[in-house]
Amino acid sequence: MAFNVTEVLEIPIGVGDITVERILYFAVILMAGVIIAKFVATNVRRVLSERLPVNERELLTKLVYYGIIVWAIVVALPQLNFDLSGLLVAGGIAGLVIGFASQSVVSNLISGLFLMFEHPIRIGDNINVADVSGNVEDIRVLSTVIKTYDGIYIRIPNEKVFTSNITNYVHNPARRFTYEIRIRYADDANAAIRIAREVIETHPFALKSPAPSVFVDNLGDNSVNLTAYIWAPARNWWDVRTDLLWKIKVALEENGIEIPFPQRTVRFADGLEVKGRSAGERGEKE
Amino acid sequence: MFGRYRGTFRREHGDIMVEAETVDGLLTYRRRCGEQTFERILISDTGEVIINPVEPVNLPRDITDFLLMEFSPMMVEPGTSRTVYLKFPVEIGVFVESAKDIEVLDVFAPGSQKYTLYGSPTTGVIARWYRSAVYPEIPPVERFCEGVMELSIHNASHEWVEVSCAVFENIDMKIYYGDFVAASAKMKILGPFLAETDFIDAPLRPGMVKSIELYTARKIPVINRGYLMEWGF
Repeated sequence: MAFNVTEVLEIPIGVGDITVERILYFAVILMAGVIIAKFVATNVRRVLSERLPVNERELLTKLVYYGIIVWAIVVALPQLNFDLSGLLVAGGIAGLVIGFASQSVVSNLISGLFLMFEHPIRIGDNINVADVSGNVEDIRVLSTVIKTYDGIYIRIPNEKVFTSNITNYVHNPARRFTYEIRIRYADDANAAIRIAREVIETHPFALKSPAPSVFVDNLGDNSVNLTAYIWAPARNWWDVRTDLLWKIKVALEENGIEIPFPQRTVRFADGLEVKGRSAGERGEKE
Repeated sequence: MFGRYRGTFRREHGDIMVEAETVDGLLTYRRRCGEQTFERILISDTGEVIINPVEPVNLPRDITDFLLMEFSPMMVEPGTSRTVYLKFPVEIGVFVESAKDIEVLDVFAPGSQKYTLYGSPTTGVIARWYRSAVYPEIPPVERFCEGVMELSIHNASHEWVEVSCAVFENIDMKIYYGDFVAASAKMKILGPFLAETDFIDAPLRPGMVKSIELYTARKIPVINRGYLMEWGF
């Protein structure tokens, strides 16, 4: 029995007069659309890689990608005898049905669009949202991907991101951090302040303005407590914070100023004989 | 030290040493500046190494495009124009160039850097900070540490204003070099807290060579639009 390709292609699939051939055309057009979309999006991303900030570049790339996909679907649907003009007529009812059926999807989609255009967060930002802290890896149409500081991948639906309190640690150009430095009561607090200021001054990213502030904050049980307020570029503040503290400690110690250990002075009303002294020590005393 | 080199070379000036020499049959670029060193193997048939001063906003890390020059306060009469000279920090860029492409190989500078915030912490900009005295004529400078900036100040407002800093967006900074490194800029004061700054693409003296800019080498398209200082000067 001979295999006739034409006959196979003309076999109806049982839905209207749609044949295998039309299904194949539909699939080929969709595949071509996806391939073209990926090709164009990749090239758009490559061309714009150094010309646009990553956020705008990714937004534009996604718009191009999904635009081509939608175009491919519109071109391919007539192969399935799908009358797009009918959609307009049935749009109201279909919209209601689809709206109820896919409420959360639409909600995430709308939230995603708002996130893309309002820019409370951008790709690469350090954020805390919905009790998740990390770097924004991607802002997609339906979800936002965060890589935690431990390198864990977390996907949060856009609706949750949009309706949560968002803390963006790098939204402003500069931010302040604080050190508490404890010195002994015997040490010169003015000298400690001067030394700490000098060390802070040498760091390139400890900002000149707003100026750093170092002062005696309170008199503690075991130490004089200094506080240092330092401003740094928001995207570099962690490096500055980790870099400076040890340098301040080393500089203070080099100048004879030490971080005190907790201490207590204990007085006994009737005096106290220390047991366990050597015989020699006792003899000397006697 | 500034100039074009092909094959092996060695240039030394104080704490700075730059060389390209053959090590185990491979051309190797080496640089020492103070305690910092840098090394790369160069695989090239026709490439040249270019060394010239570049925009001073790259060290110790590239975090901003802005340069804030702080100088002795000047009271400027309404409608008055005056040209003064400042010293600005120099960073040295090393490029590798072939017939088809140019790429940044290394950026270094003697001395230290300091950054500051211009404007408010919410809407301001991070800028490289540098303090200079104000000179009526071109001051003597250490060629590989500092350059001379010719700054033309024009007070277009109707009030006396006090000027003690100028902020520049360095993406359109034009640097020339010869006996010394130089750049030209202008500052137009529009009001008590508003001024426009921009660089001028012209050598300070005839015969100076124009530097290759980092933004050109990095193929970043730049629109020369100057910078609007909105948070005072």
